[in-house]
Amino acid sequence: MEKLDKTGFTTPDRYFDDLGERIHARISMERLKAVVPQDGFSVPDNYFEQLNSKILSRLTLDEVRQPEAKTVRLWQSKFLKYASVACFVLVASFAFYVNQIQPSAKKPVLVNQSNEQMLFDIDEEAIIEHMQTIDQVQTTTSATDTEIENYILNNYSQNEIARNLKY
Amino acid sequence: MKQVEDSEILEKFSNEKTRNEAFNLLLNKYQQKIYWHIRRLVIDHDDTDDLVQDVFIKVWKNLEKFRSDSQLYTWLYRIATNESITFLNKKKQQNNTPLDEVSAELSETLVASSYFNGDKIQLKLQQALLTLPEKQKLVFNMKYFDEMKYEEISEVLGTSVGALKASFHIAVKKIEAFMLNEDISF
Repeated sequence: MEKLDKTGFTTPDRYFDDLGERIHARISMERLKAVVPQDGFSVPDNYFEQLNSKILSRLTLDEVRQPEAKTVRLWQSKFLKYASVACFVLVASFAFYVNQIQPSAKKPVLVNQSNEQMLFDIDEEAIIEHMQTIDQVQTTTSATDTEIENYILNNYSQNEIARNLKY
Repeated sequence: MKQVEDSEILEKFSNEKTRNEAFNLLLNKYQQKIYWHIRRLVIDHDDTDDLVQDVFIKVWKNLEKFRSDSQLYTWLYRIATNESITFLNKKKQQNNTPLDEVSAELSETLVASSYFNGDKIQLKLQQALLTLPEKQKLVFNMKYFDEMKYEEISEVLGTSVGALKASFHIAVKKIEAFMLNEDISF
């Protein structure tokens, strides 16, 4: 802030720089207002008297178009809610129990059976021929036949295998 | 007729039973101010009519959330200003009109309008205003026609008082130059 040493009062920075212009602009505005006090715009007769009801009608229409979403309770009574939860817990527990008592050895058999079924469906000679063409891979990676078979069966579908064996 | 206080309007609006009464009071108090503010920006009466309704619909939906850290009056003006600017921007985009040609279009609307009864000088003033950048026009309208204080205009536009004073003075100079160019002295 600029400080006038004598009085101690201060003014904002650069206050006097454009003071003249601001005073001139103020005078121009006052003179313009004396000549043009209104903007010249008009409205239809009774426009403002009807404006309120127009707005209120639109509000009502908006509310009718977008009614509040009705909430429908899924559980009508607490008893029903708790009974459903209890049934679910019982069924889930039973399923878990049944799953636990199944012999675990059966699982790999099922996996092996499905692999064997896939191999059975494909021509044997085609498989052997295919194995011979990837012999180089076997030597460089030291993978066993079983490992390669498992790799193919785990990473390719039956159709893909059959399609490749055609070529 | 004694004007109802904004605090009374807000209190009545917060009560569901007196909400409609409050809204009617608000409409009666502010509809004309908001109408003219919008009209001076968009020129056409029918466009203004639509926008005024949009503004008050928005006010109805949002008045509950109004925080008293600003005046109700300036809050209404802010909504009206934003709606008007959005409308004008949409108009520019829809018609693929370059920015400087929108003013020419609005000027034509002004001349052709059946709801402009101004004399030659009033017409020239409106045409001069249409040549101003948006912010200068807004500041001029609110200062000149609405006689708002700079602090109130600052609340509406979110611009500092100092910047508003500068905008206003530049606007007055430009209008003076435009009028003199049209051989209108004042």
